[in-house]
Amino acid sequence: MCSVHDTIEFEKRGIPATVFLTQVFKNAAVYQFRTKGMEGHPFVELPHPVSNLTTEQMRSLTERYVDEMVAQLTQRA
Amino acid sequence: MASDLGFIDPTAGGSGVKVALAPRPKDLAGKVVGLLDNTKEQADVILETVAEILRNRYGVAKVITRRKEHYSKPATGAMIDDMAKEVQIAAAALGG
Amino acid sequence: MDEFEFFLEKDWSDGLPVVTPTEERVRAMLACTARGPDETIGAIPPAGGIATVRSVAIHAVMAGCKPEYLPIVLGGAALILREELNMGGVQCTMHGVAPLMIVNGPYGERIGLRGGNGCFGPGFRANATIGRAIRLILMNLGGGIAGIASATVFASPIRYTACLTEHMARSPWESLAVSRGYAAGDNVITCAMVESPRLHFDDVSTEPQRLLAGIGDAMTAPGSWNMWFNSDMVVAMSPQHAQLCADAGMSRRDVQIRLCELAVRPQKNLKRGGNWRPERARAMGLDPDDDECLVKAVKDPDRLHLIVAGGLGPVTAVCHGWNESSRAVHSAYSV
Repeated sequence: MCSVHDTIEFEKRGIPATVFLTQVFKNAAVYQFRTKGMEGHPFVELPHPVSNLTTEQMRSLTERYVDEMVAQLTQRA
Repeated sequence: MASDLGFIDPTAGGSGVKVALAPRPKDLAGKVVGLLDNTKEQADVILETVAEILRNRYGVAKVITRRKEHYSKPATGAMIDDMAKEVQIAAAALGG
Repeated sequence: MDEFEFFLEKDWSDGLPVVTPTEERVRAMLACTARGPDETIGAIPPAGGIATVRSVAIHAVMAGCKPEYLPIVLGGAALILREELNMGGVQCTMHGVAPLMIVNGPYGERIGLRGGNGCFGPGFRANATIGRAIRLILMNLGGGIAGIASATVFASPIRYTACLTEHMARSPWESLAVSRGYAAGDNVITCAMVESPRLHFDDVSTEPQRLLAGIGDAMTAPGSWNMWFNSDMVVAMSPQHAQLCADAGMSRRDVQIRLCELAVRPQKNLKRGGNWRPERARAMGLDPDDDECLVKAVKDPDRLHLIVAGGLGPVTAVCHGWNESSRAVHSAYSV
């Protein structure tokens, strides 16, 4: 879960950050946030799989999660 | 490391270092947002969609997208440093 | 509590009983290295648990190593942390590859590492326990456990242990390490990220062209990441197969290059299923609409790690690789 690592690197530099991942990497993300010092850090969990979606399907799925992403990056969380 | 049972605990435990959550703004209006594409298929579609919505609905001033070398590798420190100079908010995709 | 049950309940094992790491056993293990117990080897990803000479020795005890195996475990533990190999990526991936250690040089032979029949295991203590020690380190210090840090879908049997040597007594060629410029007396580990071996039988061929065409076919497969990345692959030829090539005047390098030429599939064949997609074809410099163009399983002969191993018989073992973010590494280790 290198994207979790990248997310933490942004946080270390004072930049609020989050990451999109699918359910298959959920446990890995929870574990990595915990062992790298950010237990409970939020992330945006998409259903799995997404790699075989059409571009249109991927866009409309993403649209449903942007609000959650914004909440994680602002004081709305 | 020796346990009460006379065995040695083989685990190392985490580093114990805690990282503080960066302070969150009230909203994203006028902010510069950085999106990090890890090259995995669909990451580009997800981030393009996010960029569009952030600009149209959340009043984000500017969105900067960068692509790292490979999804199985962390972004380089230099890449994160460069982005951190330009952006106030960041999101990465995709673990999938 | 029974000590074997204690370790299994703690998730401090690969699911098999471990040897209890008592102070006395760890001391005996550490006696086989001149290195200080607190010397740091590195942080094991993704959890970042620190491998020291002592914690490596603890895992060597648990895995069932003899103390004289420790220098190889220490060498392997350092090697898997080299950035080019990208162990961190593999600890989390959905894939099931493992770092296969190919040990060359006199020390491995002296402690009984097996390159002959049955060398992928089971049955040989050095092969079984050195590879297992590395796995236990990846689990206990790195958190590389399915359902915890690892998203592996299946894992694979090669994740129990992955360590062998070449069958030098029967090989027609120099060792893998010597082919890379090491001296014959150097003790060297090569480590490549691969799947479990697939066995390719050819008891028919009498000359290299047919033999290598068949092995080349076994190196290609829809659904293998080798087709769509510039990845590594390990091919272990039995002495019989290697000899057939050597008798026709082929060097190790000749075979390596020839196999890369032969291990191809027309794109139309790969489009029928598996992980073909136009973006991936383009990333390999191919026109996705060119059905007849040939897709190579190994793009660069230097990423085909050809060894001679196994017993007498007409078999070559093919181990497909992972993705291009991992590159095989090699290094001499001290004994």
